[in-house]
This record gives sequence, structure tokens and C-alpha cells, in this order.
Amino acid sequence: MTEFNRLVSHYPEGKQKSALLPVLHLAQNSFGGWLSSDTMDYVASLLQIKPIEVYEVATFYSMYNLKPVGKYMFEVCQTGPCMISGCDDIIDYIGKTLGIKPGETTADGLFTLKTVECLGACGYAPMMQMGKTYREHLTKEKVDSIIAECRNNAAANN
Amino acid sequence: MFQSRTGKLKVMGVKILLDKAHVEGIRYFDVYRREGGYQAAEKALKEMSTDAIVEEVKKSGLRGRGGAGFPAGMKWSFIAKPEGVPRHLVCNADESEPGTFKDRYLMEFLPHLLIEGLLISSYALGSHDTYIYIRGEYAWIVDILEQAIEEAKANGFLGKNILGTGFDCNIYVHRGAGAYICGEETALIESLEGKRGNPRIKPPFPAIQGVWQRPTVVNNVETLAAVVPIIRMGGDEYAKIGVGRSTGTKLISACGNINKPGVYEIDMTISVEEFIYSDEYCGGIANGKRLKACIPGGSSVPILPANLLLRTAKGEPRLMNYEGLSDGGFATGSMLGSGGFIVLDEDQCIVKNTYTLARFYRHESCGQCSPCREGTGWMEKILKNIDTGNGKMSDIDLLWDIQRKIEGNTICPLGDAAAWPVAAAIRHFRDEFEWHVLNPEESQKRNYGLAHYADPIYVATP
Amino acid sequence: MSDSTLFKVTIDNITIEVPAGTTVLNAARKIGGEVAPPAMCYYSKLEGSGGKCRTCLVEVSKGSEKDPRPMPKLVASCRTTVMDGMEVKNITSEKVIDARNGVVEFLLINHPLDCPVCDQAGECHLQDLSYEHGKEGTRYEFQRRTFKKHDIGPYIQLHMTRCILCYRCVYTADQLTNKREHGILDRGDHAEIATFIEKSLDNDFIGNVIDVCPVGALTDKTFRFKNRVWFLKPMDAHRDCPTCSGKVTLWNRGDEVFRVTARKDQWGEVEDWICNTCRFEKKKTSDWVIEGPRMIDRHSVISQGHYAGNVGTTIPTETFEKVHNGRQPNLLMDIHDVSNVNKQHIRLSLLERPAHSTDFTPNQD
Ligand SMILES: Cc1cc2nc3c(=O)[nH]c(=O)nc-3n(C[C@H](O)[C@H](O)[C@H](O)COP(=O)(O)O)c2cc1C
Ligand code: SF4
Ligand code: SF4
Ligand code: FES
Ligand code: FES
Repeated sequence: MTEFNRLVSHYPEGKQKSALLPVLHLAQNSFGGWLSSDTMDYVASLLQIKPIEVYEVATFYSMYNLKPVGKYMFEVCQTGPCMISGCDDIIDYIGKTLGIKPGETTADGLFTLKTVECLGACGYAPMMQMGKTYREHLTKEKVDSIIAECRNNAAANN
Repeated sequence: MFQSRTGKLKVMGVKILLDKAHVEGIRYFDVYRREGGYQAAEKALKEMSTDAIVEEVKKSGLRGRGGAGFPAGMKWSFIAKPEGVPRHLVCNADESEPGTFKDRYLMEFLPHLLIEGLLISSYALGSHDTYIYIRGEYAWIVDILEQAIEEAKANGFLGKNILGTGFDCNIYVHRGAGAYICGEETALIESLEGKRGNPRIKPPFPAIQGVWQRPTVVNNVETLAAVVPIIRMGGDEYAKIGVGRSTGTKLISACGNINKPGVYEIDMTISVEEFIYSDEYCGGIANGKRLKACIPGGSSVPILPANLLLRTAKGEPRLMNYEGLSDGGFATGSMLGSGGFIVLDEDQCIVKNTYTLARFYRHESCGQCSPCREGTGWMEKILKNIDTGNGKMSDIDLLWDIQRKIEGNTICPLGDAAAWPVAAAIRHFRDEFEWHVLNPEESQKRNYGLAHYADPIYVATP
Repeated sequence: MSDSTLFKVTIDNITIEVPAGTTVLNAARKIGGEVAPPAMCYYSKLEGSGGKCRTCLVEVSKGSEKDPRPMPKLVASCRTTVMDGMEVKNITSEKVIDARNGVVEFLLINHPLDCPVCDQAGECHLQDLSYEHGKEGTRYEFQRRTFKKHDIGPYIQLHMTRCILCYRCVYTADQLTNKREHGILDRGDHAEIATFIEKSLDNDFIGNVIDVCPVGALTDKTFRFKNRVWFLKPMDAHRDCPTCSGKVTLWNRGDEVFRVTARKDQWGEVEDWICNTCRFEKKKTSDWVIEGPRMIDRHSVISQGHYAGNVGTTIPTETFEKVHNGRQPNLLMDIHDVSNVNKQHIRLSLLERPAHSTDFTPNQD
């Protein structure tokens, strides 16, 4: 709640709707990595706006997940500059290694693979976003070690 | 050092933005301050009137670095100043145009340079609450910026009564959530208000009615950072760097098939050839291959084949600046745009590349107006067919007709941005499209290659 | 600039004076006829509407007396205000005709073309527009877009595939009701009108979204499929309504009221908003005081019905060709082949009875 109040305090009196995007990020982080309709209704009540105003926004932006996702999201960029730097091979490789296609989540709920459009790391391609950070200059070996790292972290936190 | 065409040995280009980027700890206030940081802010707030700052920026000839190249000083002088209505400066850090990653570099490595630029600009425009709208994916940069803001505040450069001048200013970071369209300034304003990123129908312009219906100026990260050297050295001195109306320095983010992808500061006097092949910059094409094509200013500007990239249609070396890159118009030239420099080597497929860009624009269309909402998806589907060997000859003309009917007929320039790459690819690489159609099977196994795209173009001189 | 200032504007060579602040579209409507550009999203009674569909694009060949430079691009006439001395080209501009044909094509590529089963047929602005600007056949060779079906309650039927995203219904809900429950979800070519979680729209005035919808995306569930509009007799009527003006158009056959709508002006805009009770609950002629037959714009398909003459229109003596200035009727395309609506083996024209719902592919949206 202190974080919520901090975010709302950035905007003028009566313009608390402006905090909607940052607050949805906060809600997504706090409620399991996705936005259920209950979560969105809760955000609407906090910001004193209509639920539909939240749905309209949440469905517009690509970073809000409206369905549950894996603990680790691999969001691999597939736009032009990454394509000419070989992202297709990386996407294939991740898919084969995890046994899923883009858009799917592994049965153990650990990994989701998603293809996304340019993330502003074109010079460091191929690359992907994982949580709050970027993983750049991807190679097959690097992908292997990232997957291993995630599995270890997940095991350690259980 | 690079031997330039004229035979003169060139010294390293002028650097005024990234000159300190490699100083250890420059991210933090103390080091930045020790290296001369915030002196421009002191000068501006203590010694200069707001009008004088706007005047210096006008004299500098600084043009918007976000893509459109609109003169920054002029934009500032348009802001309405109605009694009792707050005004706002908004920094556009949405940076989502494929090929562009220069603002990220500035914010990650030199956050205080941006904060200082924002402070001076906020003072000049009378903005007490200034916002940085940053793309949602740059999540870790939000922390860097917020830390820098806290440091600046703790040292009296933000907050109340800054430097005892009576000027109050706060800077807030507003994180987007994945939408290229929010780089368009009115979509950005809508998004800042907590809405869908639908561009507004203009007029009214943001300078009159922007965020919360208040007068607003939106400027790119690099534009606002450049205000710092302008105030430090004076507008006239700044204008001496570069050539013609391309004054100052420009950040170029270079990517694709080059030896040294990265962010470079250029003074806009060098040629494209030098930029690609010199060791100071891209270091040549990777793996010893040959240059085929290049998109020199972010994915929406026209792609050029190697021959037209290095030389203009008149046969002169093409320069890396606003005028140089647009020489020849869309027929034989391109644009400096946002400075996203995408290089394609001889083994790249223009059709596939165009398809991924069309997919990008379809994905990013807000969907408000019919030509863009429907046309982008249509182009993507046709390009996919051609790319996968299912195209028809008539598809190429159809693509041309679709892009023609999108361009200029939409609410915001995203429609144009989607149309131009398709138009330019067909204009310059029609053979390659036709080859794909005529050789559906072979095109799935190998690429068209360099063909004649690097052959010198001879233009008869009258 | 006071409101009484008059600006001179010339549209398709016809000069007219209008108050400062008037849009090009409204100035053109004052002149009337073909000079008025088609408008699919603008709605004069909805603040903020317009600018989106791009059917009303015009060329400004002279900006104003003071600054005569032409505007570099075509502009949306519904969102461009006139300047003194402005010169505008609508149907006299080849660029405009070309762009408008493009816009109409864009609006149609994903449209289901299920006019034979659409309740809006005969009253659909997209249908009118495609008669005027459409080409025969489509150049779009892909599967048309589909959406998940949403139920938005007992009164209003939503056919998302027909929607052109004009946003009128969203503005209506925002401006006429205090609790908007539907909106535009998703973005780009997947944007849709929906409620997100199934919810019925049940505000007192929400029924007006049916009247503002330019196509058959929002239709009256209490009327659906009961009849074709052109078989019905529109009558102006009123009742003493505590909630709204009570001034409506009744669409009846004999004594049965099939449908109640607001009264619409010549541009297809409602004259007065009406409440849900009037629209959905008052389905007996005895609920109403009949004023007389409703005048219907001759251009509309409705007025071509065989009962013409009874309802205030006279039997047209002109041929289609004459009405359309020498243009032959231009059928859009062979609906049977492209719509995917009819069962392919049934030729509707060969049936010996009226076409029936079982003649169409079931479960079509
Ligand atoms: C679709 C679209 C995307 C844009 N994206 C960006 C962006 O990511 N960053 C940016 O600075 N400007 C972007 N712009 C340009 C802005 O609308 C605006 O011109 C710019 O922020 C003005 O700043 P400047 O004058 O300092 O360049 C975009 C424009 C369009 C039409
Ligand atoms: S051009 Fe595209 S992105 Fe811009 S307003 Fe229209 S639909 Fe939206
Ligand atoms: S449902 Fe009708 S009124 Fe609503 S946006 Fe779609 S076409 Fe417009
Ligand atoms: S294209 Fe992949 S990060 Fe830009
Ligand atoms: S009516 Fe003007 S753009 Fe739709």
C-alpha cells in the first residue's frame, strides 16, 4: 500500500487514474504474475474508476498477462534486427529444449515462452526479456545455462 | 584512424554527450558532479532568464532526436501560457522503434545528464512536475532513474526552491506497459493519463492542450540531454558542430550484421561509408561478408540498397546527417529518423525482413483508424505468403496499392511508418520479391543474395 | 473570435457562409446532397466522436484567405474546422475518391458480408457506402476475422464481426449513462467491443447504442429476425414518458409494433435519445399516440419498399441509374460465394418460399 500511495502521489489531485499503468504493474507483481478480473476490479476500486476502464487498459498493453503464466517468462524478440541476427534459431532451440511452442507454458508451470516485438536491444541480439531484466547475446549454450539457473532457483525456493 | 575519402586523416569526432560515459561511477551523483555535471543547470537557473534559455536552444539549431527532427527551440516557444494553468514537460523515453536503443544507453549510463537536461528544460518551460515516460520493458532503468532523482533531490537540484532560486521542480518516472504507439506524443499523453494509447486527433496540439488538458511539451531523451552541452557551451558554439541544418551531435544505435554493434555519437560530418567501415564505429560488415542493404534511421524509414546507401543518386558520398540521408527524397534516399541504423549483409532476405517489420506494425497499431487497423494486417498476411513461397505476382502490386492507401490517410504517423518500409522494399528490391514468387521452392532453401544491389549506379550527368 | 463571425468556405465549388468553429463536414451538410462527405464514426450529438473511420476525408486545396497554402494531406472533414476563405474538394477531388475507395475496401475486408441475415440490412451505412464506393469482388484472400461471442444481455445483440470500431457506442454509454460497462478491449486488428466479464448492459439509456451503431453490430434483440425493415411501416409516435422525451418511430405491421427506435434525421442521427422502457417494453400500438407516417430519406433501401406512397414517400419514377447520376447499379460481389453465410447448395433465388433461417449456415455471427 505504501508503494501504491507513492505511485498515486506522482499525479495531480483528482487525476489518480493516471497511476493506472504503474499500479497494474504493481498488482501483477503482487498477485502471481497475472491480472485476474478480481484483481482488476480491486485496482478499479482503489483508483475509484469503473472496472471497464481497467479492462480497456489492461487488454491494450502487451505486458499485462490476462492468463496465468509460468514462473519464468522467456520473451524472445523476433523483429527485423533480431531476425537478421538469428533469433529464429534461438526461439526454436528454447522451444525444443522446453518442449513447448511460443505462447505455451511447461506442464510444471516453470516456463512460458513468448515471442515479442522489438525490445530496444537490437545491438545485443538475439535477446530476450526475463522478468525485470534482459538476457542478451543469446547462444544455445547461454540458453542452457539460463534454464539451469532458473531450475536451480526454483528448487532452492521450494 | 580512418583514412577518409579526401585523403585527410580524420581526428576522432566531437563528443559532447557520451564523452564521460566511460568514467567509472558516472551513474552516481558524486562522480557526475565532480566531472562538471550540474554546472550547466547552475548557470541556467542562476544566471539566465527562461527566455534566454529558449533563445540559446533556438540558436543551437537542435532538432528533435525522437525521429521527426522538429526544431526544439521552436517547439518550446509554441507552448501556451494561460494564467493559473500548470504546464508540463514530458520526456519521451518510450524508445520502441526497431533498431533504436540509444536513449536506453543514455539513461543507463548517464542518468544525471538526462536529469540535468530535464531540470534546465523544466525551468525554461515552467514545468514544476516533469514526467519521464519510459517503455515498460526498461524496468531496471526505472530504478536507475529514480535513484538518480533521489540523489539530485538530496543535493538540492530537484525539489523545492532549487539552488535558492525559488524554482520548484519534481521529476517522476512513469512506466509504460508494452505499446510502441505510446511513443507517438499524443498517445503517450493518453497513456500518462492512465488510458489506452490511442493517439489523439489534432488539433488541439499538446502545446495548447496536452496532459490533463494542460499545455505540454514532449521531447525525446536525447533532445533533452543535448540541452546540457548547449547551455554549457552556448547555442552558437553548439551550432558550429555539424553541417548545415544538422547541428550538434547525434547518437546512432547501430545493429545488424556489423562487427561492432552499439551506440555511437557522431558529429554529422562523416559519410555513411566511414560510419560502417571505420573502426571507430561499426567496424565493417561481420564475418567478412558484403553489405547488401541498410535501414539507416529506425525501421520505419526507407531501406536502401548498398549502392544508394553509400552514394547519392548524384554519385556523391552520402553523409550521415539529416540532409545527407534524405538526399534524393523517397525515390533514392531515406531519413536519419531516430538514428536506428540497421545493416543487412549479403545473406539476408529482404522479403523476410519486410515481413517481420509489417508484423511489427500490425502488432503495434492501436486500431483506431480503419486504414492502419485493416491495412497493416493485410500487408503482413501477403508478405508472409510471399516469404513462405505462396505468393503471386499480383501480390506485389497489391502490396504497393495497400501501402499507398494507408499512407497519409491515418490519424497518426504510424500508418506512414507501416507503409514506408513496404514501399521502399518493393521500390528497390522488386527483383527479389519477384524471385520469391517465381521460385517458391528454391526461395525456401536459399536467399536471393547480393545480386546487383551493390553495383555502382551510373547517373548520366547532363 | 466571437461566435457570430461568419466564415466563407467553398466546397466542391459551392460557397457558403458558416459560423466560425463549424467543421468542414457540417458546412458541407448545410449545402447538402453529394457535397456532404459520408461519415461513419462522427456523430454530432456525441462529444469527441469522429476522426477514426476516415471515410469523410477531403482535400483542402486552399487553407484560408490569410494562408492560402493547400493542406499537404487529406483531412478528416468531421474534425477540421473551416477557416475564412477555405476551399475544399470532396467529390471533385480524385485524391479523395481514391482514398475513400481505399477506406471502404479496408472496412470491408474483414466484414462478414452477411447482409442477408443481418437485421441492419436496409439501414446500414456501410451497405450504402459500399454501393457508392465498393468494387465488385474482393482482393482480400484471407480468412475473415472472427471473435469470441459475448452475450451482453437480453436487450442488445452484439455481432462483433460487423463492428467497424467507430467508438460511437462507447461515447454513448459514457455520455448518456453514468456507468459504462462495455468498451474497446485489446488493440489493433483484434480490438473489440466487449464487457470483458459477461455482463448485461442494462442502464436506462443504453438502448441508444443500437441507434448510433452505423452497422449491424448492435441490434435490438427484441426485434431480431422478426422482420425485414423494408416490410415495416415507420410511424412517428409519442407517449408520456417519465424518463425520456417519448418521441419515437414505431416500426409496425398492422397493429403489431415490431420495433421502436429513436427518430432519425436525414444524416441518420437520432433527434432525441429514448429510454429503454420506450424502446423495449412498449410493443403495443395502444401504448402510443400515433402522429403519422415517418418521412424516410429516399436514398435508403427502406423507402424503396412496395408500400411506398403510404408512408410519405412517393413512388420513385426515376431509375437507379438516374438517381445515381448515370451510374449503373453496382453490386458489391456475389454474396453467395463470399459470405459463407448461405449453405452453398441452396440458391436463395430459386426457393419457392421466403428464405428461412434454416437456409443459412447456422451459428453464424
Ligand atoms: C508511432 C510513433 C512512435 C514514436 N516513438 C517515439 C519514441 O519511441 N521516442 C521518441 O522520442 N519519439 C517517438 N516518436 C516521435 C514523437 O511523436 C515525438 O515527435 C517526439 O517525442 C518529439 O520529441 P523530439 O522533438 O525531441 O524528437 C514516435 C512517433 C510515432 C508516430
Ligand atoms: S494510424 Fe494506426 S496507430 Fe495511428 S491512430 Fe490510426 S490505427 Fe492508431
Ligand atoms: S458496435 Fe457499432 S457503434 Fe459500437 S464501435 Fe462497433 S460499429 Fe461502432
Ligand atoms: S529487434 Fe529485437 S530488440 Fe530490437
Ligand atoms: S466521420 Fe470523419 S473520420 Fe469518421
